[in-house]
Amino acid sequence: MPSIPIIMPQLGESIAEASIINFLVQPGDTVEAGQDLIEVETNKANMNVTSPCKGRIAKITAQLNESYTVGAVLGQIEATQEEAVLAGLDIPAPAKAGDTERIAAPNGNGSKNRVKPTIRGLPVPANAAGASYLSPRLKARMNELGLHAADLAGVAGSGAAGRVTVEDFERFIAHLEKQKITPASSMRVTVADAMRRSWTRPIAHVGLPVCLDPLFAFRKVTQPKPGPALCCLRALAVALAENSAPAGRLVGNKIVHPSAIDIAFAVEAEDGVLVPVLRHADKRSLKDLVGPYDELVELARQRKLPPEATGGSIATVTNFGTFGLIWATPIPLPEQSLVLGIGAARRTPSWDASKGQFVPVMEANLTLSFDHRVIDGGAAGRLLMRVVDLIKHPEKL
Amino acid sequence: MSITYLEAIREAQAHALRDDPRVFIYGQDVGAFGGAFKATKNLMKEFPGRVIDSPISEDAMIGLAVGAAIEGMRPIIEMQFADFSTVGFNQIVNQAATLFWRTQVPCPITVRLPFGGTSGSGPFHSQSLETIYAHYPGLVVMTPATVEDAYSMLLEAVAIDDPVIFCEHKFLYYHLKAEKLPSEALPVGKARIAREGRDLTIVAYSAMVHEALEAASELAPEGWEVEVVDLRSVKPLDTDTVMASVARTGRLLCVGEAWPWGGVTAEVIARVTSEGFGLLDVPPQRLNAKDTPVPYHPNLWTAHRPTARAVAAAARKLLRL
Repeated sequence: MPSIPIIMPQLGESIAEASIINFLVQPGDTVEAGQDLIEVETNKANMNVTSPCKGRIAKITAQLNESYTVGAVLGQIEATQEEAVLAGLDIPAPAKAGDTERIAAPNGNGSKNRVKPTIRGLPVPANAAGASYLSPRLKARMNELGLHAADLAGVAGSGAAGRVTVEDFERFIAHLEKQKITPASSMRVTVADAMRRSWTRPIAHVGLPVCLDPLFAFRKVTQPKPGPALCCLRALAVALAENSAPAGRLVGNKIVHPSAIDIAFAVEAEDGVLVPVLRHADKRSLKDLVGPYDELVELARQRKLPPEATGGSIATVTNFGTFGLIWATPIPLPEQSLVLGIGAARRTPSWDASKGQFVPVMEANLTLSFDHRVIDGGAAGRLLMRVVDLIKHPEKL
Repeated sequence: MSITYLEAIREAQAHALRDDPRVFIYGQDVGAFGGAFKATKNLMKEFPGRVIDSPISEDAMIGLAVGAAIEGMRPIIEMQFADFSTVGFNQIVNQAATLFWRTQVPCPITVRLPFGGTSGSGPFHSQSLETIYAHYPGLVVMTPATVEDAYSMLLEAVAIDDPVIFCEHKFLYYHLKAEKLPSEALPVGKARIAREGRDLTIVAYSAMVHEALEAASELAPEGWEVEVVDLRSVKPLDTDTVMASVARTGRLLCVGEAWPWGGVTAEVIARVTSEGFGLLDVPPQRLNAKDTPVPYHPNLWTAHRPTARAVAAAARKLLRL
């Protein structure tokens, strides 16, 4: 009776190995062709190794929780000659050193020398229109002038593959000098630097309309009166206190979780934006936050923020609705992975099922911009939903 | 009057013999025969007793010269071919190069090395050994590219107190002509800008300077202005002039007729990249002979050494990066 090997299949184009997490059959079991035999885990998903043909499990050589490369033999099935021919498996397998190609260390001490995934991500060109390679001389010249690679965006390179040569650069600089030039403020340069550094990450956005009527009603009856931005800030703090993972930072292959729910908020100042920080926004009630918030806004406008009120925050709230905007895609600060944005409130028709008619409500869009390396759209959506839920009951915040 | 590179070398030796009674010439067939390339033609007649035939032993020739130098003489040694100097290698690198550093006694000897390829000369009569000698502290290695430099640098070689390896290119002996001998020259160790340009620096020495200049002329109609730096001496190496040129152009191509491995071209690139990385707009390149013994066949020989055509092709590549 031919013995047909159970082989670790190619489970996906970038998958080189998989770990055994569960055996669905035992030696002696009769199996059908295509039946699930072994559950395996890859870096993408859990999948099943299926039977190559009808037969009886002769033996399983793979071991639980061990990792095997694609093509490794995991066990043997005894099948009739007809079954083997039917499955196209009647050709004897080449002789192998062992039944199971377990990934063993070359020195044989048992430590696992795992196959590295073959695809680790493609290099992303910094600027597809050129300037992707800067020669040492170009870098030196740019350092001399205090310029950054981002400043070369839009310069057409004449070098190989669109490279910006020193000659191109000098022409560019000479050309600029013919135009009106005004100095950028240090605040402008600081913001530019932060945004440029932040933009190296894949930033994605989700959004949701929220009804602000409960909030406006609450404002009428409470003292001191919290603004929509502060309510959203508090709601975000509460949501992140429940699960801080979305505010984590990805560093190498580690997620670094926030140590405190310190949340910043954007305050427009002349020629830039300041982001004062409300510390431990999860541990203070909305009512208790109004005073410190108003104080920080005032200090920011006067450019008198104390050092302890800046930096070290884990997320930012920005009320772009104050500019009359209903939608925006803000960029998180480089050291953060989240921005919660608030659009302008508008009176819009909303379907009231109980009344069977449209009713006017005050509605605003909430946006959440996030580092897609840290969380996915689903997690971002759940976080935003939770914030919206919390805002519906401002009295509980 | 027109004077060749070879005649300039003869004239310089005559001048040295005339000026300084301590100078004498020693080598195989340098006397009545006038030397393998006639670089000492008629000198024995003009300076009796001071142009002396040696036995066929390069080892003995250099050994005698070192001894004479210790006694206060200033010998000029003629090797028939640079290739044969390796037979006297021990005397040159172990004795002559180290003498002053061991004893404070200077060793003012000049070893003339007719070097470099000519068509059909093959592996024993074509080699370029400047790199090997430049490796040794205590030696000065000169590689003149012009008739004027051949004359003035040989006079300088005899005059200075260090042992000098004077690499004279056989290919230039008859090809290169000048109207008259120079009355003044750049100091030893100073490179020369042989052609000015702003797009690319080609660093070369000896015969390769002419290949580089021809390549520069070939590239000019294409709109490229190529600067050619003639090193003149490979040791000392004038890094400052090279660096200043690369600062102007941002691009560097080094051309040498010697083999690539650890050569003068590699040394120039090492210095520019380590001291002037920020000057380079493209990766520096070198062009050398192929890394094989020098072939006999003229066609193979032409393919083996860098030619103006090959230099221009390498330059074009760099200019378009």
